[in-house]
Amino acid sequence: MATINATLSVSSGDLSSSGLSLSNTMTMTKAGTSTGLEFASGLIRRKLTATTEIDLVATGAQAYGTPTATTNANKLYIKNTGSSSTDYISVGLGDATGAEELDDGTSKITLGKLYGGEWMLIPYHGATNVGDVLVAPSTAEATTIEWMLFFE
Amino acid sequence: MATTTASLTLTSTDLFDDSLSLSNTSTLYKAGTTIGLDQTTGLTRTYVTATTQFDPFPVVKGTTNADENGRVYIANLSEEITEYIIVTIGDLVIGRLYAGDFMWMPWSPKAQHVNDLEITPSVATGMHVEFMAIHNFANIYPNSADS
Repeated sequence: MATINATLSVSSGDLSSSGLSLSNTMTMTKAGTSTGLEFASGLIRRKLTATTEIDLVATGAQAYGTPTATTNANKLYIKNTGSSSTDYISVGLGDATGAEELDDGTSKITLGKLYGGEWMLIPYHGATNVGDVLVAPSTAEATTIEWMLFFE
Repeated sequence: MATTTASLTLTSTDLFDDSLSLSNTSTLYKAGTTIGLDQTTGLTRTYVTATTQFDPFPVVKGTTNADENGRVYIANLSEEITEYIIVTIGDLVIGRLYAGDFMWMPWSPKAQHVNDLEITPSVATGMHVEFMAIHNFANIYPNSADS
């Protein structure tokens, strides 16, 4: 096991009249236990040069191991390392083999967009039929993404 | 406009042979701009006592929001390590948040039911859940017929 800590802080002095200051720290543990997650994909860096949708995090056996699917407490970190405020990557979930593209239907569902410098940290379900994490850049200009999966 | 910043640190001294230390900060802007997001649902803390799925952020007429980009925070405040919530979007499961876990993600909601975020508690014995959206959406309501 390992001890992996994640701390999120969100603050604003003017989002509301009383401001906002939120801080939360979690230790990543295996599902239903106090035992730490012990595996990770490593910090993976990819440069994309087309707007084609890619299967960023595929389900099943991978070079870095086979994450437990469905019943798990896996966590996924993704960052768009760029600096553009107009270019982004769409991030979604679904079955990568499906014919639809992100945003086109309900078999692949877009979560949202990461503009330059933005990041996300979500649980990773990884079900074999719908658990692919899909990414599509908004531009064919080079877009660099970093991601890391923490898993059991 | 407002200025809201979010930062994340990921650290471990024993996950790898070398230490992991990753840190990021970003300012929350409206999609495609450098204008700050200016609306929030506020930080909601609720005590859920059923395993019924519920919608923390109903978007009733969300088609106008598909090109927007809000941020969502959800946390399971339970202290019982076996208790979790399942977070879904539309028909797809994003994953489970066990006791003490949180998530932070972008969110571009489309029409009602298409990519609604939903939460399903694992137990009916009572669990605190916290959630907040920071956004510039039209038509986000605390209560609706959304599902």
